[in-house]
Amino acid sequence: MKLLRNNPHALSGAYALDALDNTERERFEHHLQGCQLCARDVRDLRETATRLALAAAELPPPRLRERVLGAAARTSQNPPAIDPHPAVPPRHARIPRTTRIPRLAGVVAAAALAVAVVLGFKQAATQGRLDRVQAQEQAIDAVLNAPDARIVTHRATVGGTATVVFSGVSHKMIFTTAGLPPLPASKVYELWLMAPQSNRRAGLLPAPSGGRTAPLLASGLTAGDKAGVTVEPAGGTSQPTTTPILEIPLAG
Amino acid sequence: MDGMDTRDKRVPEPGADPGESDERNLDWLLAHVARGDQNAFEQVYDRLAGPVYGLIRKVLRDPAQSEEVAQEVLLEVWRNASRFDPAKGGAITWVMMIAHRRAIDRVRSASAEAQRDQRSAVAEAAASLDEVAEAVEASLDRERVRRCLNSLTDLQRESITLAYYGGYTYRQVAGLLNAALGTIKTRIRDGLIRMRDCLGVGA
Repeated sequence: MKLLRNNPHALSGAYALDALDNTERERFEHHLQGCQLCARDVRDLRETATRLALAAAELPPPRLRERVLGAAARTSQNPPAIDPHPAVPPRHARIPRTTRIPRLAGVVAAAALAVAVVLGFKQAATQGRLDRVQAQEQAIDAVLNAPDARIVTHRATVGGTATVVFSGVSHKMIFTTAGLPPLPASKVYELWLMAPQSNRRAGLLPAPSGGRTAPLLASGLTAGDKAGVTVEPAGGTSQPTTTPILEIPLAG
Repeated sequence: MDGMDTRDKRVPEPGADPGESDERNLDWLLAHVARGDQNAFEQVYDRLAGPVYGLIRKVLRDPAQSEEVAQEVLLEVWRNASRFDPAKGGAITWVMMIAHRRAIDRVRSASAEAQRDQRSAVAEAAASLDEVAEAVEASLDRERVRRCLNSLTDLQRESITLAYYGGYTYRQVAGLLNAALGTIKTRIRDGLIRMRDCLGVGA
């Protein structure tokens, strides 16, 4: 206990991992209110813990989506809390975070894609195409690690969302979707790189598993392109024949 | 194009550089969720359900319980989105903190504690690392986390894994590893600092 009293700061690691019991946690939080340095320390260590969390990402059972979204629709929200102990440091002294948020956002995208890649693995393993998926995974990794990689999520007009990670430098994009309405066997979702002068085929979305499609990698991205998806006859077409259900500008 | 969903262009975040809005997506989406936007919540779900469920599974292990707790956590995000305070950290960290705390509340509850075989905890923590290692084969950032974990000393790594993935307090960790309390406290902190630097957090 002597050590603890002398140097509460030493508990910042255990605090960031939620590894204190209730009494110690309260005491540490009290200390935190008067210690700006600790607050910054804790924030960085918490973000580090978040990385450990994201590394454990796993595909949840598909039924969870309906349950959570359904429950939310029936559940009212709480008003903002009035915090008797405002955050330390106070807002006007906030350390700029703009360079850090994108990185963590990228990590979440990576976690989401990792889940999708695992999914792709499972599908491919049963179809004996593991080598191809492994090659694709390496290519995906390269896009995610590109210095200019950006991530965008958009809703489709028909429901569901699409997430694109793209890099202008490597002229590539990775495309995944969640919750798109299922299509009859005679139809397919086709991905395009769309520009005013020309639309280029970028592949057919794989059949979804658990509502998600495994990541699709497309090359040949040029400035001003949009990623677009149309519903086409099975096998795909050479040019879009229907109105896109989704168009995502890929502006760097 | 008619019928296109351009919601995020119609409602820009005040003061935000529009070019950056996609990267701030989650913080920004959460602000919409706080205003009752169910579409925004759907997108938050699609981004975070995997990490939330995976972390809870890591701590609780039982899939049915994990699903139940994941549902509670995601619903809490919906209910309390207005209480998210960006000054204390990003949206992802906020959500993962709720998930972790809910999971350890469950695992530390009296009945769960009684059923927990502490003797196997260390072996389990080691196994949980192996699982990370296996899953890594099909992963991206996970590989970086594993590499950084492996760069720690054994005691640092075991302390952090038992505390975070195992849900043990540092006092329990000290007991499990048969080490002094002060040692574990320090190993967790300096191990995390090494992880932080290795992963480039807050740089």
